[in-house]
Amino acid sequence: MRFISAAISVIISAYLILTASCTPAACFEETNAYVKASLNDFETKKTKAPDSLTVYGTGMEEKKIYDGEKGVQPALFPLNTSAENCSFVVSINGVNDTITFRYRSYPHLISKECGYTFYHNIDTPILYTKHTIDYIYTSQKNITTKNVENLIIYY
Amino acid sequence: MLVSSAALRAQDTVQFPLKIRAGIDVSGPVIYFTDKNNLSLEGFISFDRNEKMAYVLEGGYLNYKYSQYNYDYTCKGIFMRAGVDFNLLKPDVSKGKYQAGVGLRYGLSIFNPETPLFKHENYWGTASSAIPQKTSLGHFLEVAPGVKAELFKNFSIGWSIRLRMLISGGGGKDLRPIYLPGFGTGGKTVNAGFTYFLSWNIPFKTIRVITKPEPVEETEEETDALQNSTIR
Repeated sequence: MRFISAAISVIISAYLILTASCTPAACFEETNAYVKASLNDFETKKTKAPDSLTVYGTGMEEKKIYDGEKGVQPALFPLNTSAENCSFVVSINGVNDTITFRYRSYPHLISKECGYTFYHNIDTPILYTKHTIDYIYTSQKNITTKNVENLIIYY
Repeated sequence: MLVSSAALRAQDTVQFPLKIRAGIDVSGPVIYFTDKNNLSLEGFISFDRNEKMAYVLEGGYLNYKYSQYNYDYTCKGIFMRAGVDFNLLKPDVSKGKYQAGVGLRYGLSIFNPETPLFKHENYWGTASSAIPQKTSLGHFLEVAPGVKAELFKNFSIGWSIRLRMLISGGGGKDLRPIYLPGFGTGGKTVNAGFTYFLSWNIPFKTIRVITKPEPVEETEEETDALQNSTIR
């Protein structure tokens, strides 16, 4: 009995020292809470990825999120966590519109490995121009890292 | 009166010392020796109810710091766990010196987590923020299988694996604590840990425990009555 206890003690002590000196694990989770917008045809009401999609934040023209990309579905909009609103230029098949989001950001712990991100609660109605966009439907106001649709953009 | 042959065997008993135990967990200081950012001090007292069960009260202190490229985190606090230990060894094997069994605990943690700085990077750039210190309460349940052995007179060592389930960690669903006193990593609902402890034992009472019950005596009258009822 004493021998077993002593042997187990040695094993546990070794495990303690080894685990205590381990480096932090890597982060494999999504760390950005994007506004996830489905792109739908206004006439058929069905999802339809545009032939060309360009998106960038206003004043950030040199840093495009999508640059004439085809088949994007859904489109992801990263909100500016340092501000209470931000706008995006959205060019669908070459026609430009602007979408403005107003929101409240709050911190959220993803995990020990990944740290914190910001979630957002967007205010409605969402402001947008109607050059090619017909209507924006808000399906989920809470913007998180979960793969949940937040908006439907009809064009 | 006729006594059956089985009744000739005597009842077996052992003298079993009930003890009060006071101990410390040495795994916390060992971890602190290798990681100066994690100081966990823990002790316990237990009180034998009988040869099978003991009441246990554990308590401790945590001072935890963690830092990585995108955030810093600190947590100071205290905890207590209350519950029972069940000894599964037979009394004639245990003799009050050895234990192998399982413990059940309810844990309460009172702590002050703080995130002095965290950074978040996205399309718009890097945003920095902080989450101020706030007193929080955590509740958890624990199952603790383990063993104890008396090395010297009234001095024991032992270890136990701790399987913990977080009931509530405070901070809501968005700001779950990264580390809780007495529980460990709080980002998960289920957690595992262990303790390795040294304890001083104080015998306070010796009880006589029956290891083999006395056989039931059969009298001649009872035997006749049984035979008559069978004949009818």
